[in-house]
Amino acid sequence: MNGIKKKYKGLDPLPPDFVRIHAPLAFVVEEDCIGCDRCIPICFFDALVMVDKPEHKYKRVALVDLANCTGCGLCFEACPTDAFIWVPDKSNGGPISRSASAMTNGII
Amino acid sequence: MELSSPLIVASGPASHDVRQIRIAEEKGFGAVVLKTVCSAKYDEMRYWPRPRYKLLDWDKQIAGRSKQFTLYSYEQGYSGRLEDYWKFVEICKKKTKIPIIGSAFAGVPEDWVDLASHIEQSGADAVELDISSPHRPGSLEFETTFVAAIKAVVGAVKIPVLAKLALGPDVLSQCLIAQDCGAAAVTLCNRLRGIDIDIESHRPILHGYYGGVGGPWAKYYNFGYVAEAAGKLKIQISATGGVMTSEDVIKYVLLGASTVQILSVIMVNGWDSASTINSGILSYLNRKNLKSLDEIRGNAVDHLTSPEEIVRWSGESKKGPRNEWD
Repeated sequence: MNGIKKKYKGLDPLPPDFVRIHAPLAFVVEEDCIGCDRCIPICFFDALVMVDKPEHKYKRVALVDLANCTGCGLCFEACPTDAFIWVPDKSNGGPISRSASAMTNGII
Repeated sequence: MELSSPLIVASGPASHDVRQIRIAEEKGFGAVVLKTVCSAKYDEMRYWPRPRYKLLDWDKQIAGRSKQFTLYSYEQGYSGRLEDYWKFVEICKKKTKIPIIGSAFAGVPEDWVDLASHIEQSGADAVELDISSPHRPGSLEFETTFVAAIKAVVGAVKIPVLAKLALGPDVLSQCLIAQDCGAAAVTLCNRLRGIDIDIESHRPILHGYYGGVGGPWAKYYNFGYVAEAAGKLKIQISATGGVMTSEDVIKYVLLGASTVQILSVIMVNGWDSASTINSGILSYLNRKNLKSLDEIRGNAVDHLTSPEEIVRWSGESKKGPRNEWD
């Protein structure tokens, strides 16, 4: 999957640009992952697993289970190498808004 | 209600599915407050924005060893339908032995009663009224929601009713009113509504709205509120806010809390925080030669003095190099 190369770093406080069009999902950029496991316990939605990857420098990497990820953002905070990026969740049913102006006001 | 540990999982992302409740039991929690269910009027609370959490001032390089941080969140309600929640309570009761406390948020008293009654019928051991959620505009209105909601729910259910209150200068008076309304306990306190601004874009962070803020720093305010309330209340206090270690739990107990709810520490340090805190409490009990925390509950409040008792010294009015009298 081609991720949007716009990081939501630990110190970058705003959601990704596409947040009003697509629901954001977390995605691990494998070359940045150091297999440290820190993101695993912080995920409350069982959306992160470590998988073996013999060809990878660290032999194992974190993988986001896209079906379980709720885009909460906590794994971004746990990752010491900022290996997470946001990708659009194109399978999501679309935003729910209470008012017609919610989308344009960004309060979805 | 007898608990094996004073530790309770606070309502939130660590108690929104059955599997988590089983983990909580395994890890040694005394009870769980389930994720808050919102009445149909607040149906949009089921649909969560993304992202929802941000750790401010968090040093990710040292991860769990960060002692100071703020959990800034735009937390929402239980994501299933109302009937899913009743089922959720039922299954939690079947699959675990620890007490299950449902959590509800509504607007008008009839809706509060409806949620609480269903929670009771589904088998919950108690219900916590999330009167003070930092995420709903207007939900901090005391007179319109608070008094009416507690009275109505207490009149309608037999299980104990906990009122979760907001931090603020009137915590003690809210506690006393909750007691008069028949609440079995107060939960002190919810997180505060706060906001952080990105100075580059001039925008509030996350989704441009207020978030709930909490973190280790919050305990010092809350210790004060618990101390004030413990001296005056007959009902129990479930303390919550800023707990990272067993020392924090012991302090809340020394200030009179019966139970202590935790969440941020589970979020940042994982479920094992419970076993770490529980073993810290046990070694404290051993070291102090105590059988149970009951022996020390509220002891610190007894040592609370009054301004009149504080020894003051003369001499501050004397002339010195920093004073210019002439």
